[in-house]
Amino acid sequence: MRASLKVSVLPLVGLLACALILSAQSSKQDAAKAPSAPASPHDLSGVWTMHAPTSARGYIGDTFTKDEPAMTPWGEEQYKATKPSNGPRTHTLDTTDDPVLRSCLPPGVPRIYLQPFPLQIVQTPNEVIILYEYDHTVRHIYTDLQKHPDDLTPTYMGHSIGHWEGDKLVVDTTGFNDTTWLDRTGHRHSDQLHVVERFQRTGRDTLQVDISMDDSKALAKPWVSQLVFQLKPDWKIMEQNCADNGSFANFEK
Amino acid sequence: MKTRVLALLAIAVLAVTGTAFAHHGAAAYDMAKPVTVKGVVTDFQFINPHVLITIDVKGDDGSVQKWQGELTSPNHLARAGWTKSTIKLGDTITLMGAGAKSGSSTIWIRKIVGANGEPVSLGGGGDN
Repeated sequence: MRASLKVSVLPLVGLLACALILSAQSSKQDAAKAPSAPASPHDLSGVWTMHAPTSARGYIGDTFTKDEPAMTPWGEEQYKATKPSNGPRTHTLDTTDDPVLRSCLPPGVPRIYLQPFPLQIVQTPNEVIILYEYDHTVRHIYTDLQKHPDDLTPTYMGHSIGHWEGDKLVVDTTGFNDTTWLDRTGHRHSDQLHVVERFQRTGRDTLQVDISMDDSKALAKPWVSQLVFQLKPDWKIMEQNCADNGSFANFEK
Repeated sequence: MKTRVLALLAIAVLAVTGTAFAHHGAAAYDMAKPVTVKGVVTDFQFINPHVLITIDVKGDDGSVQKWQGELTSPNHLARAGWTKSTIKLGDTITLMGAGAKSGSSTIWIRKIVGANGEPVSLGGGGDN
């Protein structure tokens, strides 16, 4: 009796084991096929590349809006004096006075977004770090500071603090020097520049950054723009050295 | 005729993508001056800021003219699958793009036909 039970149960046990294995494999395949879960709106991490809408492709590589920003007389005068490489007043590499192309100076904020390379966002409990591929440029956005330090030393990339307003990371940057340009077409700013960026993950693969530039000396009113970035899960940030640009001034003569 | 059509196509591609792929402007090049040259690769530099390809172009009279072509950043091309071995010395390739305003034998490359006669993908590297 016991022997016959063994004989009759064994095939059932085998079938059950096979069913469990198949079921586990099927679950794995389903999980692989299933779309990734929506990202947390407070998770901005990943490698992102700018994704310009078709309507903006005529200018977005060079500047922030189709129309000129409202400039003060001082800003207008400064703009007319520049010799950009990009945009409608294009100059060759050996004649441009673009500080990035001539001297490899840091692009500043928000121009760094117009340098045609991706960026990576890394989040820690105390800061959001943006690693721009262009020339190893790094920004530290301090989320553990309530305000900027007093008497800031002017820098190319400024001093950034950030806080969350709902689903938006609001980044306030000040403390700039007046060496950088606002864009690649030669719009200049003063050391009064104040930039506010609002980062919002509008979808699993989409990041929107609303930018407002305020500079009472150079701009008659704030210059606002909206940039959209696409998540690139398979991309890695690579090396890119501005110093290599020097070899091209002669090449293009 | 075919060459002309391809060259115009290359310029059309450039018009759509603009100069966003470049770290600098295109002042040195005449976008209305499509150029197509075919020759043997003598140098391939997979370097920043822009990749360079040099080819020897043989004229009908047997003379050889050196042409140098400028591409986008190696980072963008790497994301399109390129490596430092994608173009090989000795390959016969065709470069299409915009000619230099100076009249020098340089070209802003917008399209490449490889040694096998197939177009070589320049990718997009995303939208920037």
